[in-house]
Amino acid sequence: MTDTHCPYCALQCAQKLGGDPIAAEPRAFPTNVGGMCQKGWTSAELLRAQDRVTSPLRRVLSTGSRGEDRFEPVGWDEALDDIAARVQAIQAADGPDGIAVFGGGGLSNEKAYQLGKFARLALRTRMIDYNGRFCMSSAAAAANRTLGIDRGLPFPLTDLNDAQVIMLFGSNLADTMPPAVQHLGGVRDRGGLIVVDPRLSATAKLTEDGAGEHVQLVPGTDLVFILGLLHIVFAESLTDDDYLAARVDGVDAVRRSVAEWWPERVAATTGVAETQLRRIARTLADASPHRGGQGAFLLTGRGSEQHVDGADTVTAVINLALALGLVGAERGGYGAITGQGNGQGGREHGQKSDQLPGYRMIADPAAREHVAGVWGVDPEILPGPGVPAVELLMSLGMPDGPRALFVHGSNVLVSAPDADAVRRRIESLDLVVVCDFIPSETAMLADYILPVTQWAEEEGTMTGLEGRVLRRRKAVEAPEGVRSELEIFSALADRLDAPSTWATEPREVYDELRRASAGGRADYAGISYDRLDAGEALYWPCLSEDHPGTPRLFADSFPTPSGRATMIAVRPVGPADALRAEAPVWLVTGRVLQHYQSGAQTRRVSKLNDSMSRAYIEIHPMLAERIGIEGIDDIRITSKRGSMVAQARISPDIRPDTVFVPFHFADEGMVNAVTNSATDPVSGMPEFKVCAVQIRKVAE
Amino acid sequence: MKVVVIGAGMVGNRFVDELGRIAPDVDVDLLGEESYEPYNRVLLTELVAGRVDLAGLSLPTPDEGRVRVRPGVAALEIDRERQCVVTAQGDFDYDHLVLATGARGRVIPIPGLRDGLPRGAHVLRSLDDARDISAAALNVDTAVVIGGGPLGIELACGLQHRGVDVTVMSIMPTMLDRDLDASVAQVAEDAAKDLGIDFVGNAQIASVGVTDGRVTAVRLADGTSYPAGLVVLAAGTAPETSLAGAAGLETNIGIVVGDDLRTTQDPRISAIGDCAETPSGVSGLVAPGWAQARALARSIAQDTELELPPISGSAMRLKAVGMSVVTMGVRASTAVERDRVVTLSDPRERRYVELVARGDTLVGVTCVGAPDLAAHLSTQFDRPGMLPVDPMHLLMGTGSMGVVESASPTTMPAATTVCRCNGVTKGDLVHAWDGGATTVEALAGATLATTGCGGCKKLVCGIVDWLQETDPPEISQPADATRETTVPSR
Repeated sequence: MTDTHCPYCALQCAQKLGGDPIAAEPRAFPTNVGGMCQKGWTSAELLRAQDRVTSPLRRVLSTGSRGEDRFEPVGWDEALDDIAARVQAIQAADGPDGIAVFGGGGLSNEKAYQLGKFARLALRTRMIDYNGRFCMSSAAAAANRTLGIDRGLPFPLTDLNDAQVIMLFGSNLADTMPPAVQHLGGVRDRGGLIVVDPRLSATAKLTEDGAGEHVQLVPGTDLVFILGLLHIVFAESLTDDDYLAARVDGVDAVRRSVAEWWPERVAATTGVAETQLRRIARTLADASPHRGGQGAFLLTGRGSEQHVDGADTVTAVINLALALGLVGAERGGYGAITGQGNGQGGREHGQKSDQLPGYRMIADPAAREHVAGVWGVDPEILPGPGVPAVELLMSLGMPDGPRALFVHGSNVLVSAPDADAVRRRIESLDLVVVCDFIPSETAMLADYILPVTQWAEEEGTMTGLEGRVLRRRKAVEAPEGVRSELEIFSALADRLDAPSTWATEPREVYDELRRASAGGRADYAGISYDRLDAGEALYWPCLSEDHPGTPRLFADSFPTPSGRATMIAVRPVGPADALRAEAPVWLVTGRVLQHYQSGAQTRRVSKLNDSMSRAYIEIHPMLAERIGIEGIDDIRITSKRGSMVAQARISPDIRPDTVFVPFHFADEGMVNAVTNSATDPVSGMPEFKVCAVQIRKVAE
Repeated sequence: MKVVVIGAGMVGNRFVDELGRIAPDVDVDLLGEESYEPYNRVLLTELVAGRVDLAGLSLPTPDEGRVRVRPGVAALEIDRERQCVVTAQGDFDYDHLVLATGARGRVIPIPGLRDGLPRGAHVLRSLDDARDISAAALNVDTAVVIGGGPLGIELACGLQHRGVDVTVMSIMPTMLDRDLDASVAQVAEDAAKDLGIDFVGNAQIASVGVTDGRVTAVRLADGTSYPAGLVVLAAGTAPETSLAGAAGLETNIGIVVGDDLRTTQDPRISAIGDCAETPSGVSGLVAPGWAQARALARSIAQDTELELPPISGSAMRLKAVGMSVVTMGVRASTAVERDRVVTLSDPRERRYVELVARGDTLVGVTCVGAPDLAAHLSTQFDRPGMLPVDPMHLLMGTGSMGVVESASPTTMPAATTVCRCNGVTKGDLVHAWDGGATTVEALAGATLATTGCGGCKKLVCGIVDWLQETDPPEISQPADATRETTVPSR
C-alpha cells in the first residue's frame, strides 16, 4: 500500500493506494478525518481510463478544422524536434512572446515551478498564466493587499472545530470537498453556521434544524451585503477598538465608506432583510474574542470571489474580520477555501503572469536577482510581467498576440468563460501543444498531444488548502510511452538551447524550488521530502530545516512593511451584465459532488459519470411554470456570448429569479459558453458567478 | 475646470465624489454651512434612536488632491456676473456652480413657535438638531412629534426606544398618508400603538404651550392638551431656494431646472437634490438625489446626455426601531383597472402585504410588518417577465411552495439519497442489508455510506433500526426476497 493523497480538490484527502486491481481507500489525516467522497473512492479508476493517451499524437490535416481532424501516433523525438523547430520559427518572426503558456492549479509544486521556469528561460516568454486565475486570484489579491500574504487558510482546518460562528461566503464545500463538513460539526451543534449563497445548496442545508442560518441573497450582491454588515458593526460600536488601534491601518476610510450602506438600503439591493442583517452582525460580534466570544471564522469561496468586484468583495470580508479583531486571534480568522488540488502551491511558484517562485513578484529587481541566481542566469534575461488568463486567452492568434500555446494541467476549452470565443482563439493558432493523460476537449484541438504521467504514477508535493505541504507518492508504473512533464520540459529546453539545468527527478526539482523560494513570502526552504516522509506537519513559511513551519499566521504581526494590516475601502460596481427584457434571469454556476473542474477526469470514471452524466438546469417551480416547463423538459439558456441546453431540474432550493448550472460538462451542456468573460480589474478574475440570461423551453 | 458646490449634504458630497472619480482635471470646492465634515443625514433618526454613534455618520472623504471640503463656509451670495460665490471667508470662482442646498424643516406658524423656537422645540434637519433632540430625550418623559410622515415615525420610534412617551400628530387623517392607503395605515398605526406611540390624525394644532421659555404642551383646536417636554417638528420640508432666488434664478417650490438639471436662467448653474425642482418634481428622498448627482457628474465630466430615473414611485423604506414599512410603485388606490392587486392581511400580527401586478411585471409593493418579504419583493420589483404565473406565489418569498421531502427513515422513498458523499440511496442500503450487511459498519463497508463526511450516520442508524424491526437479520430469508413492499416506492 502506498500512502498518498487524492488527485482532486484542495482538501487533498489522505488515501492509501494498493491491491490488484489498484484501489483507493481513505486513511486518517487531520483534514479528511478518515473520510473520502465518491470521487476519492473511485479515483483509481482514472488509472485505467479507456482512452488513455500512451504515445505522442500529431494532428493529421484532413478537414483543415481543428477538432475534426484525426490524430496519428508519432515518436517522442520526432514530436519534440518538430515542436522545438516550430517554436523557434514563430519566435524568429514574432519574438519570444509569440508563444503562450497556460498552466493549471492541479499541477504538483514541482511541475508548476518547472513550468514557470520553462516559460521564462526556455521560451523566454512573458505570456504565461494559468487556470488558478479562475480560482483563487480574487482572494489572493485581497489578502495580499490587506494582510500582506496569501495563504488560503492562515490556520489549520481543525481550528474550525471549536468555533462559535463560521460564516461561509459563497462556498459549497458539502459538494466540493465533502469530508471537510466534519469540521463544521461543532459549530452546527452550537447553532453558529451561517451560509451566504443564492441557492439552498447542500452546504446551506447544513444550517437547517437550528444549526445556523442561510442568507439567500441576490446573485452578485455579496459585496453590498458585507458592507451592510460592516455598517452595523461600526454603527453599533461592535468593533474591537484596541485591536484596530494596535494592528490595523485604514480604519477611518472604511468606517466612512460604509456609512452609506445602512441596512434598509442594503436590504433593497440584496434581498436580505435588515432584521437578518442586524442579527448576523450581532451574532458575529458576540462570537468575537473582544466580546468574550469563542471565535468566529469568515471564509470565502468562489461564489463571492468570481465577480468583477471579487477582489473588493474579499477585501470587505477581510475588513469585517479585522474590525472584529479576528485575524490572528487565538480563535477566529479569515480564510479562503482553495479549490483545485494544488491551488495553493500552484499559485506560489511562478505560473502566475507576474510571479516568480516563493510568491516573489517578477517586476521586483531583488526577486529577479535571487531567482536568477538560483537558476544560474543573468536577471536581465528574465521576461517581465505578462497578462492575466482571460486577457492572454483572448489575445491568442490576434494581431500582435501569441501564435502558439502550450497547455499543462488545464482543460481551458470547458473551464474558461465565454468558452466559444476561447475555442475560436485557439483554433486560430499556428501551434497548439497540450500535455495531458487523456484526450480532453482542449487536447482535441491540439497539433500535438503529449501523454504525461498522472498522480499515482509520480512523486511530488502538493500544498493543501491550509498551506501544509503534502507528499504525493508513486503507487504504480506509468504506461509504456508516457513521460512526466519534467522530462518534457528538459527535452524541449535542450532543443531550445535554454540556459540553466533541467532536472527530471521530482526531488531534485523540489530542492531547487526550496532554494528559489527561500526568503520569499511563500518560503519552502525548510520543508524537505525527508521531513515530510518522516511525518512532520509542515506549513509554509518554513525558513530552514530546523524551523517548525508556521501553522498559524498573524499571531504577533502582519507580513507587511509596517507589521500592520490595512483595511481598504471598496465600493460595489455590481454585475457587469445588466438584467434586461431579453435577459431577465440571473445565471449562477458551480459544482456537483460527482465531478471535478472541467470533468475531463471524473466524466471518465463510470460510477461518477453514471450518476451524473449530463449538465442540468436548476430552476425554481415558479420560474419553471412561467416558461412552461414541467418535469424534465430541456431548457436553452442564452446570453450575449452564447447558449447551452440541458434538462430542467425543478427545485425550490434556488431563488425564483435565478438558474443554476454545473460547469463540468462539454458540448451542448457547456455553461461556460454562456458565462461572462468580463474580469475584475484588480485580480483578473472572470465573472463566472453571475450573468444575465434568457431561458426558453426547447421545443420537442 | 473649476467647480463650486454649495451644500455639503449627502447629495453635494456624492456629486463631488462621483465627479472626482471620472473627471481627472477638475478642481472642486465643496462649501458646507455646518461646521461638521459631510455626514449621513439619512441616519439622523438612527442617531436619535441610539442605533448608530456619531462616528458612524461620517461620509467618505473625497480625493484631497482635487477636492477641498470647506465646512463652516456659508455662501452669502451668488455673483453670476463675476461667476463667483461670495462667503465670509472669501470669494470662490466657478466655471460651473452646483446648488445642493437641500431643504429646511418647515416650522408651522402657530403661537409658541412662530416667534422663534422655544427651548425643547426642534426641527430635525442637522446634526446639531439630532444631538439636541438626543440630549433632550434624556431629561423628558413625554414628547410630541408633529408630522406623520416617514421622518416623524422614525423619530417617534427612536424616542420611544429611548424611553420617552411619544404622541405623533398629523394634520392628515392617517399615518404615512403619502405612502399608505387609509386601511393599510391603520395597520401601521396599530403597530406604533403596540410600541406605545399614540397617533392623532386630523390634528388641528392650535398652539404650543411655553413656560419660562421652554415647551410644556401641545394644544389642539378642540381644547385637548398633550403635555410635552419635547416637541419635534417633522411636518414636511421646504426646498432651500433663497440664494438662488436672490441671484435671479427661477424658483417655484424649488430651484427650477430642466431635464439636464441646469437652471433655466443660467446653464453654468445646476441644482440637485432636495432643493431642485425638476420637470418630474421635487424629490425629498436621497436615492433620486444620488441619481441626479451621478448623472450631473457624468454630464459635466464627459459632456454626455443626462438620463434621469423618474422621481415618482421611488421606494420608501422606513428606518424605525420596531416598525417595518416598505412601499414602492403603485398601490391599490393608484392601480389601474387591468392591474391585479393581491393582498395578505394579518391585522392581529400588524402585518399587511400588497402586490400590484401589471402584465408580467410587479409594479407595486406595500409591506407593513413583513421585513423579510419586503426585502425579497424589493429585488423583484419592476422586472418585466419575472412575475410568477400566479402572483400570489410571490407572497411566499423564496420559499418552497409546499415541497416537503420526507426525512424519516421509515417513510422516505427508496430512491432518496442517504449518503450524498458516496451517492448511496435508501434502496442501496436495503439491498446491502439483504445481502447480509446488518450493522452500520457492515453497511459502510458494502455501500461506502458514512465514509465521506459522516453526516448521514444518524440516518443510517435510523434505517438500521427500522430494518431491525421490519426485517430482523436472524430470520433467514432468500436473498432475492426483496423488501419492495415495505419500501415506499417513488
